[in-house]
This record gives sequence, structure tokens and C-alpha cells, in this order.
Amino acid sequence: MNSFKAVFKKQLKDFIKNPAVLIQFAIFPLLAFVINIILDFESMADSMMYIEGMTEEIAAAMAYAMNDNMPNMTTMQATMFAGMALIPVVAGFIAEDIERKSLRFLMMAGVKPAPYLLGIGGVVFLISFFTSVAFGLVGGFGGLDFFVFVAAMMSGIAGSIVLGATIGILTKNHQAATALAMPVALIFGFGPMLAQFNDNIASALRFLYTQQLNIVADYLNGVAVETPLRQSFMIMWVNVAVLGFLFAAVYAKKGLKD
Amino acid sequence: MISISMKNVSKSFGDNEVLKDVTFEINEGEIFGMLGPSGSGKTTIINILTKQFAASSGECYVSAGSNEIGLMPEHDGLYSRLSCLDNLIVFEDIYGIPRKRTLEALERVGLSDSKKTVVEQLSKGMRQRLVLARAVLHKPKVLFLDEPTSALDPVTARGIYKLIRGLRDSGSTIFLTTHNMEEATHLCDRVVMLHNGTIIEQGAPKDICERYNSVKTVMDLENVFIQVTGGGL
Repeated sequence: MNSFKAVFKKQLKDFIKNPAVLIQFAIFPLLAFVINIILDFESMADSMMYIEGMTEEIAAAMAYAMNDNMPNMTTMQATMFAGMALIPVVAGFIAEDIERKSLRFLMMAGVKPAPYLLGIGGVVFLISFFTSVAFGLVGGFGGLDFFVFVAAMMSGIAGSIVLGATIGILTKNHQAATALAMPVALIFGFGPMLAQFNDNIASALRFLYTQQLNIVADYLNGVAVETPLRQSFMIMWVNVAVLGFLFAAVYAKKGLKD
Repeated sequence: MISISMKNVSKSFGDNEVLKDVTFEINEGEIFGMLGPSGSGKTTIINILTKQFAASSGECYVSAGSNEIGLMPEHDGLYSRLSCLDNLIVFEDIYGIPRKRTLEALERVGLSDSKKTVVEQLSKGMRQRLVLARAVLHKPKVLFLDEPTSALDPVTARGIYKLIRGLRDSGSTIFLTTHNMEEATHLCDRVVMLHNGTIIEQGAPKDICERYNSVKTVMDLENVFIQVTGGGL
């Protein structure tokens, strides 16, 4: 317990004093807020309909695109946060500790890998919870929908933390961790956004936890979705379990030593 | 009573044999110096004794568990965004020791006034002192110091010598590496000279110097080392 508490406290302090990381936990809900609140799509679409020379058909099509067919910005930013921001962050934390040899001192002091990884993951999970709540508020989810949204976010976040930890122990230095985590994060973060515009991509990504997170958020936004809510959650938890096995396999082979 | 020992230890990295048949014993409560130039294998010995590497062959013994060992290595492993005090609090929490002792450790290495200073703003010497404070925080039975005064000014170095002697007097065994022969002469109870991974001399500094007095009149470990190794590093 001492070890977990020590690593958790250390990581929390380190996190708060790391603006480059901290900003990633604020920028995505902030972007959603800016796009949703400051930019008013409806009025933008209305004004676009009166561009000189534009036919009524084009104006109607644009209004449709802007008002009815525009992907929900909160959903999109939330999925990008869960898939894109967290994987490099967690990978970077672990790889940095290995690279600067601080992990070696923790291990020598008797800290076992489990409390260390739980301490790092716990801090990211806690801060991500607040970010998820911020997304819930920005997205205007009320009542039970709010809790379902946060639960879906936390399920996705758990997947990204495990995936980030796997990359962290695999790479063992910060630069390599970023190099490997970024393309993976792009698939998990951008994939669901591209899926909004292309059915084939949506079909291909339907087993990814970030795609299911997107579907849950769409459902809560009143969009008609084919996947039942319970099934989306099941897919996300299966993802977490599969990623957990992947982590265990990599850990068994590589361990935490530098 | 033996606190640390190595018996016929060899270590290779690929084809490069960095330690060859190294044998020595260190008694409890002794300050033991491992002397030799850079690349002679000193740090490898520390890494083997602290179980960071396994020896290729031979036997090692350390009379302390992993959390009774203090280590001051060449890589400081400090959390650069945290303050001096916060760096020590991590280990204070792990060992479950009171805050008073953490503050005392900072005071002993002369960093009380900088306890709230972020590590990335510290000079190299101050970082080294902080690493020493971390190494002695839990009053270890065995303390490994890898070139403990290499970046320190003479006045601070003397303070560190005093701290090391104090730890020895309270029963800790100190294993230190250095290429500063003068430091070894004044600080160590016994020394081993290491050259290209092989022990070339060992004993009390005074005895070693006297052994070579027939050739050199100055009682100086540096002269002995140059004489034994043929002058080259």
C-alpha cells in the first residue's frame, strides 16, 4: 500500500507540474466547448444559405450538412481524447521513468511492478475522469445519460491506459514511446471520426473500443444507431480484457527493467 | 563479520570481458574504496552487487536486503519536475519514515534552503547531494556510492566525507568507487585497485603506499597506481 501511495502521489505531483501533458486533458473538452457554444452552427448554416448566386437546392443541401448531418463535436472530441491523448501520455510516463532510471530506484526500494503500474494508471484514470465529466457537461448530457456517457468514457479510457502502458514497457525510452504511440493513437482516435463519413471504415472499426464509445455517445445524442447500448459496452470491456492480455504478454517478455 | 563479498566474479558483455576473476571481501562498518580509471569496471561491480546485472560467473554476497541498501549511482534518477523535498517524499512514503528524518537528510547534505527548488533548476553538485540524501534517507545497512564527490567543490566534498564517516560510525558499510586517489587515501579503511577489469592491488591505503615506498618515496596512491599499471590508463 505504501508503494502504491508513493507512486500515486509522485505521479499526481509530476502530472500537475507537466504543462505539456496537462494541456491535453483540458484542450479536447475546451475545443468541444468552443465549437459547440461559441460557433453556432445553426446561424452559420442560415447565413450560408443567403450567399449571392447560390441556388435553393445548394443552400438546402448545405443547411442539411451543417445542421442535421454534422457529427456531434463533443462526441468527436471525447473519442479523440480517449483514443489519441491518453495512449502517448501513459506510454511516455512509463518510458520516461525507465529512461531516466528513476524506476530502478523505486524497484530497489522494494516497489513491485503492480503498485507502480497501478499508481501511474490510477492518476491518469483519475484526471481522465474529471475530463470525462467536463465532456459530459459540455455535451449537455442530463440525468442517466450523463452517467452512461461517463461510464462509456471510463471504459474507453481504461483501454487506452492499458495500451499506453504496453507501449511504455515495450519501448523503454520517451522518444521511441512517442514514435510508436502516435500512429497507434491516430488509428484509435481518428478512426471513429473517419467512420462518421464512411460506412466501410465504420464497419472495419466496429470492434474498436473508441468506435463503440463514439456509438454510445451518438446514441445518447439521439442519433439512430444499429448497435445496442449493452453490446457496445460489452465490446469495450472485451477490448480492455484483450489489451490486458497483450500487456501481460509483453510484460512477461520485457518486464519493467531498463 | 563479512558485509559484502565477491568471489571469482567475471562479467562479459558480448565478447567484451569487463571483469576478470574479481575477488574481495568487505567487513561490516568499513569504508571500502574501489579505485580505477573510467571504464575499469567499477560501476559494473556496483551493478552486480545491487542485482541490476547478473555476473557471468562467480559468487556475490551482500548482507542486506534490497530495501536495506542505499545507492548513489552515476545516473541520478531524480524526478526533474519535482522539488528536492518532493523527490525525497516519494521514498519517505515507500519506507514509511517520518518527515523529520527527510528534512534531516536534506540538512545533512546542505540542501535545506533549496528544499522547494525544482530539480531541473539545481546545479550538478546540488543534484549529486540530493541523490546522496536519497541514498541515506532510510539509514541503509550497506551504502554504494559511485563517484560520490566527482562534481562537488572541495568544501562540499569535505562535508560529504564527514557524512560518510558518520554513517560508517553508526554501523553502515560503505562501498565507494572513485578515481580520486587522494579522496580514497583520506576516506577509505581499505581499497582495491581495479585496472581493465582485474584487481591489481588491495589493502589499507597506508599499507599499499608503504609497500611501494622502496620505489617511490612519496606516500601517494596515485603514484602507486601509475607504477603498477605502467602509467597508462
